[in-house]
Amino acid sequence: MTRAVVVTGAGGVGKTTVSAALGVAAGRAGRRTLVLTVDPARRLADALGIELTNEPTPHPHEPNLWAAMLDASASWQEVVRRHAEPDVAERLVHNELFATATSHFPASQSFAAAEEASTYLDAKAWDLVVVDTPPAAGGIEFFTAPSQMTELLGGRLLRWITGAHVPGRRFLFDRTAKPVLRLADQVLGANLLERVAEFLMDFRTTYDGVAKRARQIERHMKKASTVVVTTADPAPVRQAEKFFRELPDVAATPVAVLFNRSLPEEWIGATAPSGTEPALAENLWRWSAESQRQRTARREFGERYDTAIATIPWHPHPPNDVESLAAMVESAEGLPTLW
Amino acid sequence: MTRGLVLVSGKGGVGKSAVAAATALAARRAGKRVLAIDMTDGGGLGAHLGEPDLGFKPQVIQVGLEASTIIRSDALMEYLRVQLRVPTLATIGPAARAFDALAAIAPAVREVVTIGKVLWEVKREAWDLVVADAAPTGQIGSFLRAARTIRDLVPSGKILDQVQWMEDILTDAEQTELVLVTLLEELPTLETEETLAWLNADRLVGRTTVISNRVLDALEFNGDPPDGPVGDTALLAQALWAEQQEWAGHLPVDTSLPYLFGTRTPAEVAERLADLLDPGT
Repeated sequence: MTRAVVVTGAGGVGKTTVSAALGVAAGRAGRRTLVLTVDPARRLADALGIELTNEPTPHPHEPNLWAAMLDASASWQEVVRRHAEPDVAERLVHNELFATATSHFPASQSFAAAEEASTYLDAKAWDLVVVDTPPAAGGIEFFTAPSQMTELLGGRLLRWITGAHVPGRRFLFDRTAKPVLRLADQVLGANLLERVAEFLMDFRTTYDGVAKRARQIERHMKKASTVVVTTADPAPVRQAEKFFRELPDVAATPVAVLFNRSLPEEWIGATAPSGTEPALAENLWRWSAESQRQRTARREFGERYDTAIATIPWHPHPPNDVESLAAMVESAEGLPTLW
Repeated sequence: MTRGLVLVSGKGGVGKSAVAAATALAARRAGKRVLAIDMTDGGGLGAHLGEPDLGFKPQVIQVGLEASTIIRSDALMEYLRVQLRVPTLATIGPAARAFDALAAIAPAVREVVTIGKVLWEVKREAWDLVVADAAPTGQIGSFLRAARTIRDLVPSGKILDQVQWMEDILTDAEQTELVLVTLLEELPTLETEETLAWLNADRLVGRTTVISNRVLDALEFNGDPPDGPVGDTALLAQALWAEQQEWAGHLPVDTSLPYLFGTRTPAEVAERLADLLDPGT
């Protein structure tokens, strides 16, 4: 069975780097591992040493490591082609509204990511798939996206707009019958409204397929091990707590919170010997206070949520090769077994 | 920070909301009547102003400083009623919700409602300064371009009549400033660089300034760093400083805000940053 590790957390905490590092470490531990990344920095992509495309690509020297990059637009085209009649699918993906619609639907980038991850899990070609999540609103979207999509496509709102059954063109000439269409007509103009309505009618035909797929994706996500990455700063910690509060309802409780950029606890309360240069003493005092603040944040987290609390030391320079990525995981403390 | 509008953007995690809150606080201290608006759904602005649960209706943070958040359905209702003068909307609430779903598919309609709310607060002149905690740099373009997109896309309809004054406010350099907050690290720096490039090319916004956040001072000392925490903290400070210097050269930085050591709460962060922002500039 292929295991899934989902790496999530607030923007800017190092999620993508941690995902890559976990992938390298798992590969070196003998697990055939695919890292599915979202939008890596140039330097991280270089560090990983794999040409990142929409397709899983093996690492030239790490025998158990593959990586692919998420392409939400391409994933959506695949979803539509899989679940709509061929001619409808072609009409949809070539529709001028397709890009806006698939990037604007609630959680649509997250749905694309979860759907792509599930495809690789189903392929059974790897022991482990490490999934880096898109930085969507709160990140929780990655887990709620399947049900949100089902609800959107099958929901009352869309039925109400397009009619109880997938309607024919007659609907377009009926628009004065419904207040929302009269409103849209006034605001957007009839021409745009017709284009939107036509698009929606086509899009609804994917409902059965997408709903079924969404249930499969949800089953995968319930079995995945989720790691929440954060720093000790208040904003990302607040977001990390949100995962622990809300994830148990939609997926599984995260297996660990990982505090990236952690400072050594030995610095807390350290004092400079007499005769130390004032600038150095001042610098020690600052970082010691910072380390203390970090420890307090970790302890407070531990008091609120019963979970593994892991740390990765603050590396001043980002990893620049697979060795330094592997070293990042080696230097982690408190990380539970993920593979 | 002159009269008018300050939009604060930046990559996720750089302290965008903190800088937006600090900008509002500093302007208030300089005697301005200020409205701070959260354009995102992250709730960061409220936390930094000590009011985590902001509503659509502005609430008083202190005398002369109010804050609100954009709740899309409320903004849409207000937009339809006030801007487009669509009548009898009270009786068609569900229609407005369905309209929101329709609007989601038509490019730029949602964005124009959100940025329109902010620009409307500027236009109606109830405030000396409106500070918006805006979308992150990855998405700010679709908001800044929304009015233009509407103009190209919508052949007729009431919405078309509204976009001209919006563009006028946005592109007025006297009135509107876009602040890009960044960290001197690879991803935020490169994203800021890219954003500056297309902003300049497309002339979407009046003025743009760059604030680099969490900037470290150089640490200078004689001799080798000693063993133990004194030396270890010195080496870390030097290495981080060197890393920041590498990225600093990429950007035209207008203002640098320091790394705040040992600060605990978001409200404390905003107050300390406000101390450092000069309201005269």
